[in-house]
Amino acid sequence: MPIVNEGLLKEFEWVTRPGERKHIGEALELADELMQEIAYQLIIGKHLEIDRLTREALDSGYTANHILDNGLLNGMAIVGVKFRDNVIFVPEVLVAARAMKAGMTHIEPILSASGIEPIGTIIMGTVKGDLHDIGKNLCIMMLRGAGFVVHDLGVDTSPEEFADAIVEHDAQVIGMSALLTTTMPNMGRTISYFEDIGMRDEVRVMVGGAPVTREFADEMGADGYGENAVECVDTAHELLQLLKELGGKS
Amino acid sequence: MKSNGHHANGASDPAVIAHAARVDVDAANRSITRLQSIFRDIASKAEDSFRERCPYKNAQSRCTAKFGCGHQYFTQNPTDMPVCTGSDKLDYRSAWHIAAETD
Repeated sequence: MPIVNEGLLKEFEWVTRPGERKHIGEALELADELMQEIAYQLIIGKHLEIDRLTREALDSGYTANHILDNGLLNGMAIVGVKFRDNVIFVPEVLVAARAMKAGMTHIEPILSASGIEPIGTIIMGTVKGDLHDIGKNLCIMMLRGAGFVVHDLGVDTSPEEFADAIVEHDAQVIGMSALLTTTMPNMGRTISYFEDIGMRDEVRVMVGGAPVTREFADEMGADGYGENAVECVDTAHELLQLLKELGGKS
Repeated sequence: MKSNGHHANGASDPAVIAHAARVDVDAANRSITRLQSIFRDIASKAEDSFRERCPYKNAQSRCTAKFGCGHQYFTQNPTDMPVCTGSDKLDYRSAWHIAAETD
């Protein structure tokens, strides 16, 4: 069916490259009114609406595949185009990613029950004393997209909060972020705290952030380092594999 | 609120199991791969854009940071996000108030 959702139609106008317009346009034509509304609400980052509409769609008999492809992914594809073309910026992308998560909260248990299990569980947070969260939030977006379950502890996270979250969520990996040279040492302090309470062998620790280098990560005793959000996913995969090989929880 | 069984820990829920039986696993894996591809493109572009534009500055040039910054201009309306007055030509990080206590 043609695009009947006025908001979505307006958003689709941002897709100007002929090949993309054809590809995304054809995908949108597979979307009925409800799926178009899901796509639109995702683009504008309305996570509560996405939560409600996804539940409504499942209750109405739509399959998880259908909602994922024709609603959520169609919306995120347009978000990607708008970001690439500088129509929106990182904050808007992260708001859309939050909306995506609201929908996936309903889709993931269904995929999991069908045999598509989450890859692993990760705790993410910015270390104590540091309030910068953009890099961490991009990493979380990437990790969730890659199939990890991620629990976000936010900013200014104490070693105790990391440790409590590991226990609560039975996480295999934690990711610590710092943007300041003054707060970077708190990564090492958090690792030392895990050692002090006898938890160090249970989890793998990855670190990242603008001032953090691989050398610094090694010095503080981290298991992995990601220079950016894309590397963060690769590092998480590597650490999980390492944990499996060592016979840890997986 | 009506419970419909679609929640994060609903693997044993009959509604979830009924939906799971209808999942095309191969198609779902293709969808996840497509989502990863979209996110990967976004993350790569974000990495580049950090060099010239503060990542906390939104499309309306409002500051979304949870910390103070010398480029924030607070309007009369206390519920408004501060306006970012950064030029995008200078190193924006030097304006950030670094300590958590400045929040």
